[in-house]
Amino acid sequence: MAKVLVIGAGFSGHTAALYLGDKIGRQHEITVISNRDVFGYVPSWVWVGVGHMKPEKTIFKLKPVYDRKNIKFVHAAAKEIHPDAGDQYVLGEEIGTGKEIRLNYDYLVIAPGPLLNFAGTPGLGPEQGFTHSICSMPHAIKARDAYLALCDRMKKGEKVKIVIGTGHPGATCQGAAFEYIVNVHKDLVKKGLRDKADILWLSNEPALGDFGVNGVQIKRNGHVLKSDEFIKAVFNDHGIRYQVQTGVTKVEEGKIHWQNYEGEEGTADFDFSMLIPQFKGQPFKYIGKDGSDISTKLVNPAGFVLVDGKYGLPYPELAQTPSAWPAQYQNPNYTNVFAAGIAFAPPGPISKPFTNKNNLAIAPAPPRTGMVSGVIGRVVAMNIIDLIKTGKMTHSERMTEMVAACVASMGDSLWDGNAVTIVMRPVVPDREKYKNEYGRDLFISHLEMGVSGAWMKFMLHYTFIWKFKALLGWKLIPE
Amino acid sequence: MQNEQEFSKAEKFWMNFKLYQLWRFIILNIKVYTIAVQSKWR
Ligand SMILES: Cc1cc2nc3c(=O)[nH]c(=O)nc-3n(C[C@H](O)[C@H](O)[C@H](O)COP(=O)(O)OP(=O)(O)OC[C@H]3O[C@@H](n4cnc5c(N)ncnc54)[C@H](O)[C@@H]3O)c2cc1C
Repeated sequence: MAKVLVIGAGFSGHTAALYLGDKIGRQHEITVISNRDVFGYVPSWVWVGVGHMKPEKTIFKLKPVYDRKNIKFVHAAAKEIHPDAGDQYVLGEEIGTGKEIRLNYDYLVIAPGPLLNFAGTPGLGPEQGFTHSICSMPHAIKARDAYLALCDRMKKGEKVKIVIGTGHPGATCQGAAFEYIVNVHKDLVKKGLRDKADILWLSNEPALGDFGVNGVQIKRNGHVLKSDEFIKAVFNDHGIRYQVQTGVTKVEEGKIHWQNYEGEEGTADFDFSMLIPQFKGQPFKYIGKDGSDISTKLVNPAGFVLVDGKYGLPYPELAQTPSAWPAQYQNPNYTNVFAAGIAFAPPGPISKPFTNKNNLAIAPAPPRTGMVSGVIGRVVAMNIIDLIKTGKMTHSERMTEMVAACVASMGDSLWDGNAVTIVMRPVVPDREKYKNEYGRDLFISHLEMGVSGAWMKFMLHYTFIWKFKALLGWKLIPE
Repeated sequence: MQNEQEFSKAEKFWMNFKLYQLWRFIILNIKVYTIAVQSKWR
């Protein structure tokens, strides 16, 4: 009997666990260790952050799902990984009791999502700093409370400044920040308060609509329409000011300090701000048989797990080498260790990085969205099943082959809500396969705004919660 | 929208015209489902 251990029960880890439990859970031991006993449907935290969805609607308990799927659940935070042959285990701390837990494994999936590195920008974040975040449920609730308090001030006639975007020169997840800014706009319109707010988009993207993926391009009526023109039109329509090519370096009460591509330094004042922090890998200890630190064999300096990608290529070469992106998410030094979702180390950025004259790198990190994370979770699970059954992996999918569909809602009403729907294939441009300057399939890629997007967003919320609960037909729903 | 930086009145009309949007909803679902499901067989 093989023991498979999954760290983290988010988009990637939970997906991996469901496939493993479903296919081999009766014959083998599948265990999930997660520091939260609920699954969180992260995309809907945007709505939590403006007070349009109750937090409880975005979560459900994991254990009942795992009981049905022959998966053992351990409610603990993983701390140490001991991957050397002979005695391979993970040490965790049980939530509630603080008791140390030891979990042995034959195969390990590391899928704990990102460490939200607020410390990377002085003054950033809802705990030690002055800005808000929607990257965790408690943060989204805090952002909602602050936002609603701000609305109360506006109702009394006060004019306010709102800044939303990225809070670090190397931040990712611009899509979530974009969705939040347009939701805030729409909510203020509905409340009759829009004229009381000056709203600014502040981001490290090289251009508007870049989203850390080098933008989205589609063919429409014989023209190539690019996301920078499209998002510019959205912001112009909504009266949202924008400033890109900007890295936030420090935050003080009511003041954001930044530097831009030209190396200029400046500030933006705010009454309310939601800025996405830099993401890092979870700070696990990787310990060898002799007790030594072996982290360089497993993770890069940012803590992301090294897998089967080609690391260290300069950007121009990486942009022309689709095969540099990992296919099986397997650590080369410990072949029974896999990483899924945000936890794996990408070989480099997708968007063009930039370093200004002050030596500040302003470069969005590649996003590993929900769909990407789910696909990786499935690929990893199927390969572990292959290895257990036949000793040979048969599944692979690079980000240069993956599709991503993102729906950035603007308000949640099914009648007058709106959303930008973005589909791109592939997520990372493949200039060998798609012989255009963008390296994408311009026919499949899609960029559209309309009320149908709002319907889509609702549908995705309920469909994915259905899928993640492993209810009837869950496998038919793509990741 | 074709390279200008604003949506035209006609585009805004179509964005909110429910019957057209229903059509787009169906198209979009078919498109996303068919390409996303291909990934399952890799
Ligand atoms: C506000 C917001 C909106 C978004 N909207 C979209 C969208 O519309 N579409 C889209 O495709 N993507 C969206 N994303 C991105 C998407 O949510 C992420 O890509 C996805 O959640 C990443 O999956 P993951 O499995 O890597 O990490 P997560 O989903 O974060 O899961 C990680 C899990 O590991 C657990 N964990 C952490 N540390 C430990 C530990 N030490 N021990 C055990 N368990 C641990 C966590 O509690 C969590 O359950 C959005 C992100 C945000 C923040």
